[in-house]
Amino acid sequence: MSIDPDISTADAKRLLTVREHLSPLELDRRRFLQMVGWGVGAGALGGGLGEVFAPGLMSNRMREAYAATPIGATDGIVVLVGFDGGVDGLNMVVPYTNGQYYAQHGTIAIPANQVLTLNGSVGLHPSLPYLKTLYDRGEVAVVQGVGYEDPDLSHFSSMALWMYGKNDGLMPSTGWVGRWLDGMAGDDLFRAATVGYSLPLSMVGDVKRGTAIPPWGIGFGGGSEDHDLQLYDAMREFSASPSGRGEWHDTVATTVRGVIDVGQEVSPVFDRDLPDNNLVRQMMVAARLINADLGLRVIDTAYGGFDTHSSQPQAFADLMGEFDAALKAFFTTLDDRFRTRVTIMTYSEFGRTSWSNDSEGTDHGTSNNQFIIGAGVQGGLYGQQPSLNGLDRWDRMPFHVDFRSMYTSVIDGWLGGGASTVLGSSFPNLNVFKQAPGQGVATGSVPASALGDFVGVTPYRLYDSRSLNRLLPLGAGTTGEVQVTGAGGVPASGVTAVALNVTTTLATGTSAFTVWPTGDPRPDLTNLVVPATRAVPNLSVVKVGKGGRVNVFNDQAEAQCVVDVVGYFRTSAASRLQPITPYRALDTRNGTGGRSTPLGPNGSYDVTVRGLGGVPADAESVVLNVTAVFPTATSWLTVWPAGQAKPLASSLNYVAGQVVPNSVIAKVGTNGKVSINNANGSVNVVVDILGYLSPSSPGRHFPVTPARLLDTRPDNVAPIGPNSTRTITVTGVGGVPASGVSAVALNVVALSPTANTFITVWPNGETRPNTSNLNPRAGAGVSNLAIVKVGSQGKVQLYNQQGTLDALVDVVGYFTT
Amino acid sequence: MDPLELAHLLRRTEYVVRPSRVTDLTPLSREQAVDNILAFSGNVALPGYLENDIEGEGYDQYVYAIQWWIDRMCDVARPMREKMTWFWHGHFCSGWDKVGSTRAMMQQNKLFRDQAMGNFRTLTHSMSLQTAMLVYLDNIDNVDSSPNQNFARELMELFTIGVGNYTEEDVTAAARAWTGHGIDWNNYEYQFHSGDHDYGNKTFMGVARNWNGPDIINYLLQENTAKKLVACKFLSRKLWQFFAHQLTAGVPADDDIVNDLAQVLYDNDFAIAPWVKAMLMDDRFYTTRAMQGLVRSPVDFVVACMHYTGMRSEQLNPQWSVDGMGQVPYVPPNVAGWKTNGYWINTSLFGARADFARGITWRMRNDDPANEYFAYYFDPSEGTEGNPAQAVNNVVAKFALDLSTITRQAMDDFVTQHRSQQSWIDWWEPTDLVTMAMMTPEFHVA
Repeated sequence: MSIDPDISTADAKRLLTVREHLSPLELDRRRFLQMVGWGVGAGALGGGLGEVFAPGLMSNRMREAYAATPIGATDGIVVLVGFDGGVDGLNMVVPYTNGQYYAQHGTIAIPANQVLTLNGSVGLHPSLPYLKTLYDRGEVAVVQGVGYEDPDLSHFSSMALWMYGKNDGLMPSTGWVGRWLDGMAGDDLFRAATVGYSLPLSMVGDVKRGTAIPPWGIGFGGGSEDHDLQLYDAMREFSASPSGRGEWHDTVATTVRGVIDVGQEVSPVFDRDLPDNNLVRQMMVAARLINADLGLRVIDTAYGGFDTHSSQPQAFADLMGEFDAALKAFFTTLDDRFRTRVTIMTYSEFGRTSWSNDSEGTDHGTSNNQFIIGAGVQGGLYGQQPSLNGLDRWDRMPFHVDFRSMYTSVIDGWLGGGASTVLGSSFPNLNVFKQAPGQGVATGSVPASALGDFVGVTPYRLYDSRSLNRLLPLGAGTTGEVQVTGAGGVPASGVTAVALNVTTTLATGTSAFTVWPTGDPRPDLTNLVVPATRAVPNLSVVKVGKGGRVNVFNDQAEAQCVVDVVGYFRTSAASRLQPITPYRALDTRNGTGGRSTPLGPNGSYDVTVRGLGGVPADAESVVLNVTAVFPTATSWLTVWPAGQAKPLASSLNYVAGQVVPNSVIAKVGTNGKVSINNANGSVNVVVDILGYLSPSSPGRHFPVTPARLLDTRPDNVAPIGPNSTRTITVTGVGGVPASGVSAVALNVVALSPTANTFITVWPNGETRPNTSNLNPRAGAGVSNLAIVKVGSQGKVQLYNQQGTLDALVDVVGYFTT
Repeated sequence: MDPLELAHLLRRTEYVVRPSRVTDLTPLSREQAVDNILAFSGNVALPGYLENDIEGEGYDQYVYAIQWWIDRMCDVARPMREKMTWFWHGHFCSGWDKVGSTRAMMQQNKLFRDQAMGNFRTLTHSMSLQTAMLVYLDNIDNVDSSPNQNFARELMELFTIGVGNYTEEDVTAAARAWTGHGIDWNNYEYQFHSGDHDYGNKTFMGVARNWNGPDIINYLLQENTAKKLVACKFLSRKLWQFFAHQLTAGVPADDDIVNDLAQVLYDNDFAIAPWVKAMLMDDRFYTTRAMQGLVRSPVDFVVACMHYTGMRSEQLNPQWSVDGMGQVPYVPPNVAGWKTNGYWINTSLFGARADFARGITWRMRNDDPANEYFAYYFDPSEGTEGNPAQAVNNVVAKFALDLSTITRQAMDDFVTQHRSQQSWIDWWEPTDLVTMAMMTPEFHVA
């Protein structure tokens, strides 16, 4: 819906004209509308989609030049969803026990047994299951009986009135969001936006106006090549000072600069795939705009087709399904840090008649149902469903809530106040919010790195996108936020870094995870190569960030994310690392470690680690490389301190028939043992001890900003061939001191392997051990953390057995001597 | 004629400053030049493909109609005819999206073109009895038993005398007068349905009479001389704002402009040619305010880009681009037509202009291995390669730009910056500089 900014009520009325006669011409209406509504941008999506390892959003140079101001930690964001054409509120929020509803809505009424019940009297349309989930979480306010005095049944004058937000009889020349913008300090370019080609009246203020962001992508202004930036810089100069050529010249010059600024800031939003589906696409763009933190506080989206005068049931079900999918896509895409700062509000110019017509449709009505959705919302029913008693064929329902009460509620409750000024008079606040925006948002600064001693904990699940935290996967380009302190045995303060086992599962395509401290810029680091569908783990040792949190970024597709904490580093004394020459503590294929049979379904075995390979009696934790060998089923291993109950955690996930290793830091339990459990099928397990952590050892941990030590991809150095070794300097580089370093924590990624192979990382100057850190399969990238003793000359070696592959090695921390 | 004044006159009447026209008109007086610009007459035949509705090809015809018209704006000897056709299109609005008929829309377009410089009263009569208008403003539904006021209201509010110069009773009476003027659904042509006409007495503007629709036009534009003068002022304000600059009602100097022009229209009994000529002869048409007073509409911008780069619709498919810029030929936003200046300016709409400019330069580059389009840029005799200023000069000349100091500085800076990065001139330099030329404020405010 795009009403031109200069719309007047009279103009708006003219736009509503119902054709009673069909044209004798069969104009291809679908194509016609596509053409009229599609326009520019569809063919102008420049730039390649970011490859899996594409680093940041844009170069620092650009961000500085065109930077928008991020919103504050307690600033609320409102996303508007317009149901253009007048949504049938009775079939959206169904009064399923009301006989009058069934009598009047007739054949198009939603049968009571299909309704997703909210309480004993109303329920949602069956195509709204995700909205139902949100309602059950207490995050949906259903506002009933919304309308306004003296309803005009015209689409456009009604929509103009909703956009205007006043009912003073004057010609609307501004809109409610625009007037709210007028009251805000600073630049308005990135404060309010519509995902569309033209600016709706609602976003036009007396002095400020919102920005239109085309849903099909930024064309001009979004480039990143050197010559693009030179051109942009030069074009921004048009408005560097008044030209002396008059008002319109200078206005155009400023607008050209706006095109470039918006392009530079917004184009990364389109780097990753977006679906074609209209509202789903718009709302995903909205979520990405929020994630980009450009300062946007209000984002408008809308879709049409609700003017269902005939053949309503299927069309309406499709529209509701699109809304539900769009909500799900929105929250999948939204970064966790904005979860408590976003509220969604729906609107529609009017409701529809309670009586259906003879064409299985409904006609223009008045009173309607709307939704206000978000983590800050106190879920439940608001307003009042108008009575249907005594309504005749052409009667319309009375209304109980002026639509400006909804505006008042979000302006005063979520946008910082000022509703009575914006709306020209006071309306009752529905008080739909249970908390202010930004509750629980991480604040403060990221603590500086410090040397830390290790404390192992029983593995504890901190984050599970499937259940605990989101109920949704991480979308493409979406960042999850994990509270790592104050839970699972990790203290609330004094923590320098945490050891996390990060697992992905059920990804819809290949991707990559990056794990880094909240509040720091996202590093160019792949902690986890995410394959489609398969569950894959990796150990991460990461500094804690702002608010005691770490971020997990998912680059592409949608992927579930599970984070278990296995230990932490603190400033006060605890265990310290002593790397050892790898020692095989268990091999169930040959009886090493006392077991010669695979672990069966839910089979556990306690592996002795203390006293083996030099692990002393005071060792509190061990650093292990655990490998699953040819499992018979898709399953996972859990490693935990012996003598304790098996925790809800996983250490190593695998699919049938593969060899999968993972680094594991395990706290040592009773009798110097760690327990290992296999969930499904049977699997042989190999456990190598790489080091131990004890109070008498030297190695204190220091987390560094990830630094790339090796990258063999094209344009850098040649890939690693079969049976070949690379030597990598790990001290005196990337924030690691030149001396006094006993071991380093390396994140190792293998890419594009041409054969099934394995990779071993070990100290320079020593014999290559009979262990593997990664077991890549042909064509599939994998990653693993390697905690490696520093060898002679401050170097480690990396060996590839078969085929060729590219390798990335990043140092993420080191241990002192 | 003064070169600056002539350039301004040509931009406003012929879209662009064509060198051949400058050569022809420079020796002439202002009046001779204006007469030359207005020297067109006779009728223009429609392309055969657009004469009738072709089942299943409505969309293709629609696209063809846009391209045909835009190319005419680029190519005809006297583009003022197309400017005036557009003026009437934006005045007597009908939209293809509602009318839905190639034949009806193109008959209306042909009327506006053939009668562009004819007589306004005659034109009003003609357009009101064409299918496009009858459908667009619902007079086909205006019947004795159930009057529809849409056309009758707009005839007064937007087409002739303007709001405030009639009452609701006048609208009611006029609507009754227009009952029965509909179409023959068999051939989609105008037809008077006497059975649907209200033959009763109606009181219109205080006159009780058995009014018929066309009587209303004659009354407003002929019989009632007060209303006739009001109409002349209403139209003159619109004409001036379309060609010269915006006006503020109540400001004496602005009202003078309107009144002077209205008197010409009144004295010539709605003959359009002397009225338009009077505007173009007026000294106030050549003020700084006028020269800096209009932002090119999307269609004007597209035509200018196409002219200066030699591209035509077949290559550029401008029907896609103008939509993103906010204006589609044959599809006005509503019956009030398109507005000016600020209406075209926001980041989204200007982003579409930049995309179009960029699209042209990409085509220049990709479709032209012989580099003919950029020949002027790389002309070694001009010393381009060694001289950033000369490169900018060449582009400025190509696009007939009269740059402000700051814009010129920006273009010089671009070339200097670009060349500081490498020792040779790559294709990006002309591509970007030409794009930049089409996005200078001077190219849009013209």
